[in-house]
Amino acid sequence: MPNDSAAPASLEFEQLAEHRGYLLRIARLELRDDHLAEDCVSDTLTHAYEKRASFRGASSLRTWLTAILKNRIIDLLRKQWREQPLEPAPSGEQDFDALFDASGHYAEMPSAVNDPAELCQQDGFLIAVQRCVDKLPKRIGQVFVLREVFGSDTKELCKDLGLTTSNVWVQLYRARMMLRTCLEQGGFGRAKAR
Amino acid sequence: MFRISCQHASRLLSQRQDEPLPFGKRVKLRIHLSVCDACRNVSRQFETLRLAMRKLREKD
Repeated sequence: MPNDSAAPASLEFEQLAEHRGYLLRIARLELRDDHLAEDCVSDTLTHAYEKRASFRGASSLRTWLTAILKNRIIDLLRKQWREQPLEPAPSGEQDFDALFDASGHYAEMPSAVNDPAELCQQDGFLIAVQRCVDKLPKRIGQVFVLREVFGSDTKELCKDLGLTTSNVWVQLYRARMMLRTCLEQGGFGRAKAR
Repeated sequence: MFRISCQHASRLLSQRQDEPLPFGKRVKLRIHLSVCDACRNVSRQFETLRLAMRKLREKD
């Protein structure tokens, strides 16, 4: 455990480590790799401890740590994306043509969700969502989790990932459509049966 | 002129989760939603997804 008694010890390492579980959870959602997530979170906590004098308390500790983690993850993604060519998406499926009839209307009625808040209280539903998110094509999942879990907005996603605005919209659209299609089999569907 | 397909409406439903829609798109979407149960359901599903991701982030 880092211990530097000469530095202004406004923050104890233990205070930072209290957020480890949270950071690990969001890192795993983003990276889908336990070891990589562990590494990123350990780096984050070490870096945060070294830089603890720069934490001004303007934001919450968790927000500050999340920002540091996000930077680590973005560095990692940029490296991964450089090294791995984009997986080719099957054409036609890209715009979810199969879901629509010839006139562009939904061929099957999407399930009604009467009470989103109530549905999201159910562990079974959250497990189904998690499973569907883990099934997304890797990059689409990474963009989606940065948006919905790390709270990056379109501008940040463009800047951080080197994507155009319309590209970001397309990735997020695909993620949401894939997720809703996935959840029609068991997630939303269960809500319909109740 | 204001008629859009569900496919188009779904793209707008996703886009509006990320940015305020420009006026023209907003009007088209609103008109479409007023007559389309399917897209109203999809809108609800997208809201639910956002909420679920928040829950996955916060759960202990």
